[in-house]
Amino acid sequence: MLKVNKSGVMASIQDIGRFGYRHYGVCRSGALDPFAVCLANLLLDNPIHKAVIEITIGLAEFEFTSACNFSLTGGCLNAKLADKPIYPGWRYYASAGDVLTFGTSAHAQRAYLSVEGGFELTPIMNSCATDLQSHFGGFHGRALNAGDTLNYYTSAVKLDSLGVKQPPYTQQVRVLKGPHCDKLPNNTFERFIEQPWRVSELSNRMGSRLTCDAPLSHSVSITTQAVHPGIVQLPPSGEPIVLLNDCQTTGGYPIIASVIDADLRLFSQLGVNQKCQFVPCTLAQARKASDKLSAHLAQFSLAKNNNN
Amino acid sequence: MSDAHSYLLGENALVLSLDVNAPSHTQQRKLFALCTALKDSNAFIDIVPAKSSVTAYMANPSDYQYWLKHIMLLWHECDDFAFDAKTHIIETIYGGEFGPDLSDVAQQANLTERQVVQLHCAQTYQVEFLGFLPGFAYLGKLPSELQLPRKTTPRKQVPKGSVAIAEDLSAIYPNQSPGGWHLLGRCQHTLFNPTHNPPSLFAPGDKIKFVPLKEGIC
Repeated sequence: MLKVNKSGVMASIQDIGRFGYRHYGVCRSGALDPFAVCLANLLLDNPIHKAVIEITIGLAEFEFTSACNFSLTGGCLNAKLADKPIYPGWRYYASAGDVLTFGTSAHAQRAYLSVEGGFELTPIMNSCATDLQSHFGGFHGRALNAGDTLNYYTSAVKLDSLGVKQPPYTQQVRVLKGPHCDKLPNNTFERFIEQPWRVSELSNRMGSRLTCDAPLSHSVSITTQAVHPGIVQLPPSGEPIVLLNDCQTTGGYPIIASVIDADLRLFSQLGVNQKCQFVPCTLAQARKASDKLSAHLAQFSLAKNNNN
Repeated sequence: MSDAHSYLLGENALVLSLDVNAPSHTQQRKLFALCTALKDSNAFIDIVPAKSSVTAYMANPSDYQYWLKHIMLLWHECDDFAFDAKTHIIETIYGGEFGPDLSDVAQQANLTERQVVQLHCAQTYQVEFLGFLPGFAYLGKLPSELQLPRKTTPRKQVPKGSVAIAEDLSAIYPNQSPGGWHLLGRCQHTLFNPTHNPPSLFAPGDKIKFVPLKEGIC
């Protein structure tokens, strides 16, 4: 069992998300960095979409009540296993009674913890992701609390140390131009990509709110339409919102841009007051960036099997 | 001359958008017929209608050029599709503790509470789309006599099952949540249960009739 001694700022069960239910108003949920979920699972030979724990900000503490192979991916939140530092991008072995702690970091926001065989969970609507707004899925539909215990299926046979290179988390975010740019005041999109933006403290898993000294205010309204994670809305205040996994299914603010699928993971690590810069790209470049991430997984999978 | 256009939103979402903000009755019916046609193609993992658009998430995004054209073709053809709507009867207790805004709405609309209930129940509503919360259906159209802006200060907690109105729409809160709509009554129906298949009682295009229960104003 994995016992939650401290949940820290927030820790929740997430997988790559819930798909196919947006027409009922059900959001995607899931890890803000689905790529880190895949890597964490590959490190343990798990099916790549198994649910993991998303640790936000840090200060969490877990206890392995039985021996367990586990992996850590995402940002470096200064984790320690039995008081020894451990690092994201690696798999480790915990003996019964070992305690895993997370510190914090000025440069990282989220870490992902997977266990060999995965946690014992019941999928709801084909996913084990926690819908934190509507309280279902994951572990009893809520974030983890101190005292919770999660069962896992582990072989408990110690696996050799294994690491994988994680693609870097940059502050350059590639975007496609949005459909409402011609309705917004002249040069709004150009100004959006020219200036750097700062992540506001109002950001959460629903969206990253961005601020700057010269917001792109306007008075354009559009009819409510379907939205999804990655869409960048521009409310009349002129401060953009990058929609993330827990965003609602419809929205009525003009859409200025879409963050490309491959770069949406970057928002998992962008904390309050950190800067980001948008870079326009083409659809072909966006697809290529996604293919590159898939190739990264495929190569690691291949290399791992050849070494076994 | 076309009344709609299609575009790609992000990398995977195909959008058909009407060139008007408020669709006509025929256009509304055509939007639901389009959803059915898209669903029958099995090419999409999710199809999300909204007020004057349909967004379809492609299973195979590399087919987008075909679909940008094909969705326009389906749109022009789908007059011929008959859209088959399911009808739900929602028994509602109006007024009192269940409808704390009924008297206020009556006052603002210059009607009696009973007239408000009669007007609200006289209409057959259609689920225009779902959003805000899982299972939260936007029901059009509210009779013009009852159309009011949202409350200036939203409630922190609206009880589950509350039957509400705002602007030209009615809705039922599937779960307790914050909300700025005027509460007329409450129903006992389960609108959303994540363990049910489908999880939502209402689907886009469904018809809804409210029936007042004698425990409340009727």
